[in-house]
Amino acid sequence: MKKFGSFNIFSLIVGFSFLYIPIILLILFSFNESRLVTVWGGFSTKWYGELLQNQGIKDAAWVTIKVAFFSSTIATILGTIAGLVMTRFGNFKGRTLFSGMIYAPMVMPEVIIGLSTLLMFVALAIDRGIFTVTLAHITFSMCYVAVVVQSRMSSYDDSLTEAALDLGCTPFRTFTLITLPIILPAVISGWLLSFTLSLDDLVIASFTSGPGSTTLPMKIYSMVRLGVTPEINAVSTILVGVVTLGVITASLIGRRQKQQTPKAQHT
Amino acid sequence: MSETIKVSPWLDSSHKPYIQIQNVTKRFGEFTAIDNLTLDIYKNEFFSLLGPSGCGKTTLLRMLAGFEKITNGKILLDGEDISEIPPHLRPINMMFQSYALFPHMTVEKNIAFGLKQDNLPANEINQRVEEMLELVELTDFANRKPNQLSGGQSQRVALARSLAKRPKLLLLDEPLGALDKRLREQTQFELMDIQEKLEVTFVIVTHDQEEAMTVSSRIGVMDSGNLVQVATPAEIYEAPINKDVADFIGDVNILKGIYKGQNEVGTQLFSEDSNSIVFATQEVGASVEDEMWFAIRPEKLEISKVAPSHDHNILKGTIEDIAYGGSFSTYHVKLDNGRILKAIRANRERTKEHHLTWDDEVYLQWAPHSAVVLLS
Repeated sequence: MKKFGSFNIFSLIVGFSFLYIPIILLILFSFNESRLVTVWGGFSTKWYGELLQNQGIKDAAWVTIKVAFFSSTIATILGTIAGLVMTRFGNFKGRTLFSGMIYAPMVMPEVIIGLSTLLMFVALAIDRGIFTVTLAHITFSMCYVAVVVQSRMSSYDDSLTEAALDLGCTPFRTFTLITLPIILPAVISGWLLSFTLSLDDLVIASFTSGPGSTTLPMKIYSMVRLGVTPEINAVSTILVGVVTLGVITASLIGRRQKQQTPKAQHT
Repeated sequence: MSETIKVSPWLDSSHKPYIQIQNVTKRFGEFTAIDNLTLDIYKNEFFSLLGPSGCGKTTLLRMLAGFEKITNGKILLDGEDISEIPPHLRPINMMFQSYALFPHMTVEKNIAFGLKQDNLPANEINQRVEEMLELVELTDFANRKPNQLSGGQSQRVALARSLAKRPKLLLLDEPLGALDKRLREQTQFELMDIQEKLEVTFVIVTHDQEEAMTVSSRIGVMDSGNLVQVATPAEIYEAPINKDVADFIGDVNILKGIYKGQNEVGTQLFSEDSNSIVFATQEVGASVEDEMWFAIRPEKLEISKVAPSHDHNILKGTIEDIAYGGSFSTYHVKLDNGRILKAIRANRERTKEHHLTWDDEVYLQWAPHSAVVLLS
């Protein structure tokens, strides 16, 4: 078949190697017996065991999980509201400006976001710690949720809401019984997306964290400065695993949601 | 009982209207969608709002449901002013054009949804859902999700869901628009049966004039935010109030006439198309030389190659086109002045005995009571 011509296969291999060889190496060497990162000394899972002994890494992981959980949950609530409102209001003057302002943090350099939030915390004299990292993560991840929810809402049939009201359902119950369940897959994938974003953020966390709130990416980064150890490979592999899982789940949910949307009503 | 319909309550002043739309105006910013509209609808009517798209018929329906706020005027249901009642508290249900079935619920749950909002006991809900499923013949589909249903089945679920609460008034927004022609015709009869069985007042919005003619007790023809004519299907068809209504409902030939006064037959008009006087039994108040129109439905024009023995109400032309429609044929007859008229002839013979074919010279004639004189 033409589709699998030799040139196509070649490009495929080059492209994917370019993307994934570094990560594959990292994962492989996390199972390395030897302490030397670049020399293969046989298969072993001892570095994973050693990880469990490392209090510093365990603390950082715990901080990261807490920050990711709370920031993604709050970002999901705020982002969902933003997404809903942007679709509900329809077209009004300055709509483009408003929706543009929701998307802006996605393209804003992280350094700027980090710096500006840091300046604000300093100005307001808020002690930096887990709380400030969480706040900063909410600000940049809620726009992703808003985008996901808004794109789902654009294909949402408003007469579903009207039908529920018409059948005697109060506006609030209509939201919880009809609108939310229908857009739930989008909300969940928004949550997973902001969870993974928070999990692997280094720049913004560095700006906004304080004593006792070192996140895992920050910890890894500081450990690397003292030399790459198999331990770092192991913790990074776990991180890659979690992120991959999150992204795959999010896209699976998205696909299922597409299949669930009623076949065009006109059939 | 539907008997009330058979005695035409709108002609009997002792009947109280069920829905009273009083001087209702709806504006969207600068645009006036409904312009000071007044309409009475009676209990157990099957009332159609008919009109071209953008005439305001859907807006009127949505105001009855409560989805659009009335700018001016009020709407009474059974004597009670409902203008300010939000949609979820109105004893009115609506069937949506898109059906709006909840995709995450089964057929059964969709139908039960409205009943659950009223906190009815579970056994009563189950019983009513079963009744509804039987009514629309979908008992075997109770556990299907909406995306596993065909268009016709979805339409029936939507109908069952909107009827489950036994509303005082059911609104239907283009209920059959998404169905193919054969299914639509069958469903029209089902709708009429259900309406008679449940004794619910139906208000339906449609742009399909055939559908409106088939199902309605009365039709309200709308144009640019107001009612042009409200009457029974037969009245609308046989006695349209103006050229627009005549043209919108069914096929029609509209010819110009100059008023020449009354005689023992009725109105005398001079027609430029026939270059002679034509008679219509209908009497009109006008003065001599006034310009007006007369409308003749194609099936009321008799087409023949033989010259009639009388000399009035005759048009002469040649057959330009023939559309064979099986049970009838439509002839396009070109008059000497170039105008084309439509005439319909039932195909009563299986063979081509009548020998009407292209380029034949034919005479079109009609009885004085077949034409409608229109002043505007």
